[in-house]
Amino acid sequence: MNRRALAIALAGGLAMLAASPATGRGTQSGVYTTGQADEGARIYAARCAMCHGAQLEGTVETPGLVGKFVANWAGRPLGNLFAYLGRAMPQNAPGTLSPEDTTALVAFILRANGAPAGSRPLSPDAAGLGRIDFEAASLAR
Amino acid sequence: MQNRRGVMRGTLALAGGLALPGSLRAQALLGPAPPLVPMRLSPDQLIDLKCCIRPLRAAGPNLGTETVRDRLVIHNYGHGGSGWSLSWGSAEVAVGKALSVLPDRIAVVGCGIIGLTSAIVAQRAGLAVTIYARDPIQQTRSFRASGSFTPGSRIALAGPAGPQFPDQWEHMARYSWKMFRTMLGLPGEPVAFGDSYSLSDNPIERRTWPADPAIAARYETTGLPQQNSEFARLDSRIRDIVPQSVPLQPGENPFGTPYATRSSHMYFNFPAYSHLLMTEFLARGGRYEMRNLHSPADVGDLPERVVIHATGYAARDLWQDHTVIPVRGQTGWLVPQPGVNYSIRSNNMSAMAKADGIVIMNNNPDLGEMLGVGDSMELPNRAPVEEAMASLSRFFWPADQRGAA
Ligand SMILES: Cc1cc2nc3c(=O)[nH]c(=O)nc-3n(C[C@H](O)[C@H](O)[C@H](O)COP(=O)(O)OP(=O)(O)OC[C@H]3O[C@@H](n4cnc5c(N)ncnc54)[C@H](O)[C@@H]3O)c2cc1C
Ligand code: HEC
Repeated sequence: MNRRALAIALAGGLAMLAASPATGRGTQSGVYTTGQADEGARIYAARCAMCHGAQLEGTVETPGLVGKFVANWAGRPLGNLFAYLGRAMPQNAPGTLSPEDTTALVAFILRANGAPAGSRPLSPDAAGLGRIDFEAASLAR
Repeated sequence: MQNRRGVMRGTLALAGGLALPGSLRAQALLGPAPPLVPMRLSPDQLIDLKCCIRPLRAAGPNLGTETVRDRLVIHNYGHGGSGWSLSWGSAEVAVGKALSVLPDRIAVVGCGIIGLTSAIVAQRAGLAVTIYARDPIQQTRSFRASGSFTPGSRIALAGPAGPQFPDQWEHMARYSWKMFRTMLGLPGEPVAFGDSYSLSDNPIERRTWPADPAIAARYETTGLPQQNSEFARLDSRIRDIVPQSVPLQPGENPFGTPYATRSSHMYFNFPAYSHLLMTEFLARGGRYEMRNLHSPADVGDLPERVVIHATGYAARDLWQDHTVIPVRGQTGWLVPQPGVNYSIRSNNMSAMAKADGIVIMNNNPDLGEMLGVGDSMELPNRAPVEEAMASLSRFFWPADQRGAA
């Protein structure tokens, strides 16, 4: 166990030290832009925070979107998350997010979980998103 | 006047009674019924609000099977407002289908009341079981129900459910009822009975919902039920075992309202019940693994070849079954009040004593089963709960003492 990595993880809860992606790009390689994540933050505050919490912390009843969230979604194509948001969220009005808004929200959630921004925007294209790995933290490198 | 004295009026009337009708004469021989401990319905007692979505499936719960990447998937979801009540019978059907292909181990996806009960029924039949779920039962929608035996509540729409469904429902309801009876009197009272009083200024009649011919739209044309008459009404099929309400004579009514009925109702204490099931599940060697499935194909990643799928309302998104209709409901929870062991209901506002608190509900009587249909806003709203508490207080405390109770 890399103790420094562990310390970072515990301090920030955010260490996403890249596990090498099995296929194509991974979310540690900068797959969204800061502008997208900022836009996602605005949408999140208006349409999601009331249930998932201003800090994405969740409640006993509504899942948080950091921490345990990574265990639920990592190791899988990012397209899964994109598709789920598009059909199921916001829970009180599912199916009302545009593909662009959904992409911005994915970018915002990635940033909140420690994935770095890059220079190329995330594109709302299901096939492309299916080739990007949602990478989990790896403490044991 | 309805006030604190009202709670004792029945007792007083009996003591002073002269010409008593038959049933009351018997009571007089045995002495007056003990007075009820009044409920404290003041706002300071409100310690929790819970909101939840009932997974109403137009055709009734999905108990069908399908093959996904060489896994046999047996569905067990979509139990509307009846998931607790039908849990044992529904699990028996699902596990029976699993057993018919002779597995020695199975997976259960979901750990609400349906998944956990399915897991235990499978273990009791000798199978090794792993539960894969996003949340343990205490954090599921099951834990946000009110928790009475209500097997016919928003369980299906009569038309889409078809002519076979009532028989299958009756089997599941009767099977469950007997299984709940095996859990009575256990430590912590996972299952219990209580007296439930219905109170009114007017004669109490069972409400019926004839079809309104002015409403032409229906589930088949809109994807949502449009009126109460579309819902399946099945409870009368089991009235031989489930206690029905009886009218109270004036001297028997502890609340002194002009009209009252009493019924004995079965209810579930979620903390004790969940603890009991989890304890049995683990004692039988069950394994629980936190896992979030993203699509039906993900069952192919599970090592078990037979999978019972029990994700409740979430099946709408996971399995993309859009015949699952959200029906929002909410409850308020008061501090548990020792000695209060009954429920009251008036104008569809109710207060029901349970081990983990008094449950408050405020269900608009004119909406019936349509209340919350199509609404998936799962955040609670405090105002209707406070309204019900204030309104029901009148049965216990004079107006000038309410809130100080
Ligand atoms: C206000 C209210 C009052 C009610 N009162 C009663 C009553 O008095 N009596 C009664 O019988 N019924 C009542 N109900 C209905 C009852 O609550 C439901 O029918 C029941 O909870 C359904 O249970 P379930 O196990 O199918 O689903 P849930 O309890 O929702 O459990 C689903 C499980 O699946 C898991 N899951 C979900 N998605 C995934 C995924 N993608 N991957 C892995 N796991 C996943 C969840 O984490 C959870 O463990 C009431 C409902 C409400 C809203
Ligand atoms: C009305 C409350 C509510 C709102 C608003 C809401 N959500 Fe959710 N969200 C939930 C609930 C409840 C779940 C769990 C779903 C289930 O079990 O069916 C959930 C699940 C999720 C999940 C999956 C979490 C996991 O670990 O599996 C994600 C991601 C998510 N929501 C994102 C969003 C985003 C982004 C928005 C805003 C566009 C949003 N939600 C708005 C209530 C809400």
